[in-house]
Amino acid sequence: MKKFNLFIFTLLLLTGMEAMAQDTQIKGFVDVLGNYQNEKVSFGLGEQDLFITSELSDRLSFLGESVFKFGTSPTSFNVSIERVVLKYNFTGNHNLLVGKHHTPINYWNDTYHHGRVFFPTIFRPYLFSANIIPLHTTGISVQGQNLGKLNIGYDLMVGNGIGSSEVVDNDKYKSVTAAVHFKPWEKWRVGGSVYYDMISPGVISHHGGSDTSSLLTRQMIYSGSLSYFGGKRFELLGELSYVTNDNDSTGPKNTIAFYTYGGVKFAKKFTGYVRYDFIEYDKGEIYYHKNNLIAMLAGLRWQINYLVVVKLEYQYEDSELNNSSNTVTAQVAVGF
Amino acid sequence: MALLFANTANAQDGMLSVISNGKGAPSEMNFQELKSILRGERQRWSDGTKVVIALMKTNTKAGSTTSKKIYGMTGDELNKYWLALVFQGKAKAPAFFNTIAELQSFVEQTPGAIGIIDVAAQGNTKMVTIDGKKTF
Repeated sequence: MKKFNLFIFTLLLLTGMEAMAQDTQIKGFVDVLGNYQNEKVSFGLGEQDLFITSELSDRLSFLGESVFKFGTSPTSFNVSIERVVLKYNFTGNHNLLVGKHHTPINYWNDTYHHGRVFFPTIFRPYLFSANIIPLHTTGISVQGQNLGKLNIGYDLMVGNGIGSSEVVDNDKYKSVTAAVHFKPWEKWRVGGSVYYDMISPGVISHHGGSDTSSLLTRQMIYSGSLSYFGGKRFELLGELSYVTNDNDSTGPKNTIAFYTYGGVKFAKKFTGYVRYDFIEYDKGEIYYHKNNLIAMLAGLRWQINYLVVVKLEYQYEDSELNNSSNTVTAQVAVGF
Repeated sequence: MALLFANTANAQDGMLSVISNGKGAPSEMNFQELKSILRGERQRWSDGTKVVIALMKTNTKAGSTTSKKIYGMTGDELNKYWLALVFQGKAKAPAFFNTIAELQSFVEQTPGAIGIIDVAAQGNTKMVTIDGKKTF
């Protein structure tokens, strides 16, 4: 009942905001899915994503993103506030941002957020569902965009670390993210980042995963990305994260996670694509839930128009803790 | 009669012109600079005025020519490009218009505005030359 009231309140709030017409835009994304796995066909709802942007003054703007995720019992759902960002453009292409962000740690997180109509594949790469990277950070950042001939961009963020809520940090330690990218040629982008945090004992990982450690853990994540999008024929994306989780008892344990994606456009609106995911943990990993994994998928994407995308994928997954699986998934993702 | 001929000639040839508000945009720039600004890569003009982009809707002739000539995209790709940038929080979407008159009026009244049309500029909007030319 509480969640239903919250849903109605949010809708009324959004309607009211639209009526005020202060250059406030309300957009959304939603997707529906069907899959075949283990001789069973299932239909399901993806996420419903609402995002609001508003120009508050000549230099100040707001962006909010809320996602409704559906549960396993009929009519149950959760509302997640994904982003609440106040952005102040203090000079040129440099901005100050305050609020809850998608941590600017890699290309996928900073580009696609929860907009599944933009995803090159149906689901995010596995390094997301494995809780390798901290998806969100609440804090303050300085950001620059399109600087100089190489269109350099940077993000420097300080925030509440892993285990914190949106209203209070769980400990005295702060997370720090430093990211930089540049565009050496048109449509190409090269990026890199470093993330640092001290994770207190007993803290459950981001998004309620099973990762936790009984010791204070020093986490460093080094990430790199290479992308090529917007060309006539090909598209390419590859990202790698190298993580060191370290404590005074066991010493450093390392995890490597990467994915590569390639797509070929044909017949004007179709793209055939493949993706390979790989995650490997050190023996004795102290924080992550150790589950070495490889996965491969092949798919077809039909871009009916910029607001409607249909995807069909076959995926093979093999992990340390689970039997290998084969899944066929179809998705219709729309924007509105 | 001459002005009418000039307006018609622009539209028939697929030529475009750049207009701007008196405040913000310079009187001349090169094509690469124009592309960069229209892609949302600059937030402010050198005088500190906010960059505001005005375009014809992609389903109009001028809008379609703009998409192809300046962005190298179809109209649908251009719409997706801007939706993605706004969703990332990286830029504000352009103002899109159905008629040239509406676009020109918006540019005239909005400090920092820059617009692309396929007819000769009218009213109090400033014409911006691209690589030394009034049309391209």
